[in-house]
Amino acid sequence: MNRGTITLIFSFVFLVLVQVMVFNNISLFGYVNPMIYLLFLVIYRFDNDQTLLIFLSFILGFFIDFLSQSGGAHMIASLTIGFLRPLIIRYSFGVTSEIPSTFQNDSRIKNKYLFLTIFILIHHLIYFTIVYFSWNATYLILKNTLLTSVFSLILISLLSRFYKKLNDT
Amino acid sequence: MQRIVEALVRFRNPISYLVLLGLSITFLNGRSSFHQNHLENYSLYFSQSIYSFSHHIENYFNLKKINERLLKENKILIDLQLKSNELKLYPSNQKSKKRFPFKVITANVIKNSFLNQRNFLIIDKGSKDGIVSEMGVISDHGIIGIIKSVSEHYSTVISVLNQNLKINVRLKNSSAFGSLSWKGTNPIDFQVDDVVVNSSLINGDTILTGGMSSYFPLGIPLGKITSYNRDTRSGYYKINTSLFEDPSQVYHVYVIENKDIEEINKLKKEIK
Repeated sequence: MNRGTITLIFSFVFLVLVQVMVFNNISLFGYVNPMIYLLFLVIYRFDNDQTLLIFLSFILGFFIDFLSQSGGAHMIASLTIGFLRPLIIRYSFGVTSEIPSTFQNDSRIKNKYLFLTIFILIHHLIYFTIVYFSWNATYLILKNTLLTSVFSLILISLLSRFYKKLNDT
Repeated sequence: MQRIVEALVRFRNPISYLVLLGLSITFLNGRSSFHQNHLENYSLYFSQSIYSFSHHIENYFNLKKINERLLKENKILIDLQLKSNELKLYPSNQKSKKRFPFKVITANVIKNSFLNQRNFLIIDKGSKDGIVSEMGVISDHGIIGIIKSVSEHYSTVISVLNQNLKINVRLKNSSAFGSLSWKGTNPIDFQVDDVVVNSSLINGDTILTGGMSSYFPLGIPLGKITSYNRDTRSGYYKINTSLFEDPSQVYHVYVIENKDIEEINKLKKEIK
């Protein structure tokens, strides 16, 4: 067990608990609950095993669903985003040689934010589509996706800075 | 073998994704009845489009048989018309004019299962044709079931070949009431329960719908008694019956709309 693994396990537990106990109860403007647990799938090393990530994202979604009494929407959304992550990484960071080993290690701010935005938008879109699951709710789905994505993006980018400091010291 | 393993290793990510996705959809299905309902509708849509295609082909080859059947059916209908004319001739049979709140919609069966313990049918009429859930479905020699869920052009029917379904019936000669249910084996073998022992029975007596369920009008002949035995402990007869028509081999059905059902349900609610 190296340092990275311990950080990963610790942040898994921490993010699940914080998401369920704090961020699920925020209800900004009545319905915006930022999803910071995605940070786990962001900080997972880019060069680490992809199959493990799929399982981890499934388990992450399962715990969030289980603890927040929702159906299975978190599970499907985070599983799908875990599966699609390599594609998003390739799209936002460019060709193979330019892909950094972790999210924090890269210094190109534009690429990092592009990655985060796509990542969060896709996840939220899937999540809200499953929650509403009806063509009549298209407007609601889009509105919720955009608003929640903005707040998730702000919180996740703030928290990811905290991780960078941890790794440096 | 090695190739299969190699392929599994190579595509391990998509495979594990799909397996886990299936798991989570099952999870979603089990936990939320809203999603369950939606997924059921989608599956109805898919199965319906497949079955209606095969139904089109099948129908073409059955045309001759169907024509013969229609002729027979027409004959029975004319018989019925004559009978009702007779009633008109002797109005003393009905002292007051009785309302008949049932309306009939014809439909074709496009999928009929009979191998399970709880069977369902799909028919090719839906909400556009005025069908809503909980309508009765009959064929020309018996009853078929009750409408369960409805999409725009199709609906599912809980078959009488479903052990959860009990139908209110009465006997023609002794006018005792009971409930008819499927035994779960042969599609024409049914049993009638809850008939009180003090009513007299005859082998071969006809079983009619009881008219108490608001799904079916009174007096549709369903089958006849083959044997019965008296259960002295419970005080009820156990009656074995066989239907006039095998519900698993029906292609044309009639959906019965009870125009008074809202009124009846309102009264039922007041009782509760």
